[in-house]
Amino acid sequence: MKELDKEVKVKVKRFSEEKGTWWQEYTVKVDKYTQMTEVLKRIKEEQDPTLSYRASCHMAVCGSCGMRINGAPRLACRTIALEEVDRTGSDTIVVEPMDGYPVLKDLVVDLTDFYNRMYKVKPRLHPSEDVLKGKSEHRLKPEDQSRLWKFAQCIWCGLCVSSCPAVRIDVEFLGPAAHAKGYRFLSDPRDTSFEERAKVLIDSAWRCTYCYMCYEVCPRDIEPVEAIKLTRTYTTKFGPTGDASSFGERHSKAVEESIAETGMLQGGKVYVKTYGLVNSLISMIELMKDGKATKLIMERQKKVRGIDELRKLLGEKQ
Amino acid sequence: MKLAYYPGCTAHGSAVEIDVATRKVAQTLGVELKEVEDWNCCGGGFLDERDPVGHAAINLRNLSKVEKMGLEKMVTPCSVCLHSHRLAVHKYEEDPVLKEEVDKRTQGTTVQYSGKANAEHIVWVLLRDVGLEKIKAAVKKPLVGLKVATYYGCQMLRPGEVMGFEDPHSPHSLADLVAAVGATPVTFPAMTYCCGFPLMGSNEKGGLRLAYNIMKGARDAGADLLIHPCSLCHLQLDVTQVKVRDMFSLDWTMPAIYATQLLALAFGFSPEEVQLGRNAAEVLRQKGLI
Ligand code: SF4
Ligand code: SF4
Ligand code: FES
Repeated sequence: MKELDKEVKVKVKRFSEEKGTWWQEYTVKVDKYTQMTEVLKRIKEEQDPTLSYRASCHMAVCGSCGMRINGAPRLACRTIALEEVDRTGSDTIVVEPMDGYPVLKDLVVDLTDFYNRMYKVKPRLHPSEDVLKGKSEHRLKPEDQSRLWKFAQCIWCGLCVSSCPAVRIDVEFLGPAAHAKGYRFLSDPRDTSFEERAKVLIDSAWRCTYCYMCYEVCPRDIEPVEAIKLTRTYTTKFGPTGDASSFGERHSKAVEESIAETGMLQGGKVYVKTYGLVNSLISMIELMKDGKATKLIMERQKKVRGIDELRKLLGEKQ
Repeated sequence: MKLAYYPGCTAHGSAVEIDVATRKVAQTLGVELKEVEDWNCCGGGFLDERDPVGHAAINLRNLSKVEKMGLEKMVTPCSVCLHSHRLAVHKYEEDPVLKEEVDKRTQGTTVQYSGKANAEHIVWVLLRDVGLEKIKAAVKKPLVGLKVATYYGCQMLRPGEVMGFEDPHSPHSLADLVAAVGATPVTFPAMTYCCGFPLMGSNEKGGLRLAYNIMKGARDAGADLLIHPCSLCHLQLDVTQVKVRDMFSLDWTMPAIYATQLLALAFGFSPEEVQLGRNAAEVLRQKGLI
């Protein structure tokens, strides 16, 4: 063993249709450069040819090695074994398949649901007739290019969708990766399918819960939630396309108005503006059962004294 | 220790018990909280998309006041306020185009932000600046036998690069506090999932479903009650819990209280003094802790 080599234990959650689920432990020698894909390769080549996993590029490009490593959704090729040991303080690295997708075998999951979400947003440019016929060229301004760049870097690894809570509870939500991809074309000045894209994307955007899980786990720093936020801003121009966007738009507008009016967020008022008086009263009656309604009614909020300055900061024309 | 204090709209409005308990805990531990003079709303998690420049500008207004107080840490009990301020600073520093726009807007106002001040969560301050030993020493009534689920939610943890206090995939700050007051911390898989509050304005059913997942997760892990670190989690898991119970026809409750409410109880304050909810008080009574 070289001086820098260390032994780590790798505990893999395994699955096969015949045997079901079980845990298996392996011991592997690593150095400070060894990626988790390399660890799995050594296990498969030297100890256990029955272990299944996916990996190809070993450099965060192909998107095939998504899995849970010590509980965190990660690309195995971007995870250094000894850094995991440092992070958790344990010599045992726990490896599981990605959450949220059916497991086919060991660390290999079925990504059909992920691909279907991506295809729903038509993930390619729809250029104009003239461009297709070669009569004109595609031109993109540098500032548009730099805005779109980030959202075009997706490698379809599925990690964001696997950890998105809104995907789990809402069939109408497209999920983070599809939204990042969708926004990338929605706001591309060369694309000709704006209306069609807006119809697919706008209502779904209001079904995201802003938990920042996708931002956290994306190995390409795509920040899908930021694309969703940007997509929501199209609601004002395009109009809502369903319940989520129509309530959501009213709610966000009410928040904005409350801040511009008083400098504060008055929860009760925002609620009434979002859901209308009748629905709000019904909610109040429900809350009264627990003695909670008074809390919303009794909001004792002041107005910010520097409200004029605040309005200037919010861009109000002087 | 003197720190700037930003309660946030909700802790001044419908979740005032958070403000009350936080002040009591700080006082007990010798932390002086100086409320930021004439602070404004952080945007509540929704303003940044409608007006990114305005969002950054009004958050910097608060932080610039902190700098004028000669302080750097602006402590808040609300994860959304924390997130909003830290994200505003992050974007202001990372995005030169945004910075230019923000600087244009703040010109001729009182806002002068040098980059020194930033928001901090009260939980971080308790652990890092006060320390567990001091907290343990302040415990008068150890909450022995109480099983407390530690619910972190989203915004205090993520994005990790902007929050930077603990590992967003395996946090333990709340568990450390729970253990320090003699209670038993209970971890559960949903402890870092969303409470559903941000969906309440656009997909209420979805929001309540997420809240249910948290309550059920805590219950399945055997907790008596849960603690959380956020004013808006409080609205969702405490105030709105009755709606969750209706929607799922539940015959049980999972009392949700703010982290400093738990601490204050252990420091000897009465349930009334920390404005403890009915259901939580009932649990403590059954356990013989009050
Ligand atoms: S921020 Fe939205 S899209 Fe991203 S993981 Fe959370 S709910 Fe899903
Ligand atoms: S957005 Fe990021 S996490 Fe999601 S599929 Fe694309 S590369 Fe993977
Ligand atoms: S092996 Fe290609 S992304 Fe990891």
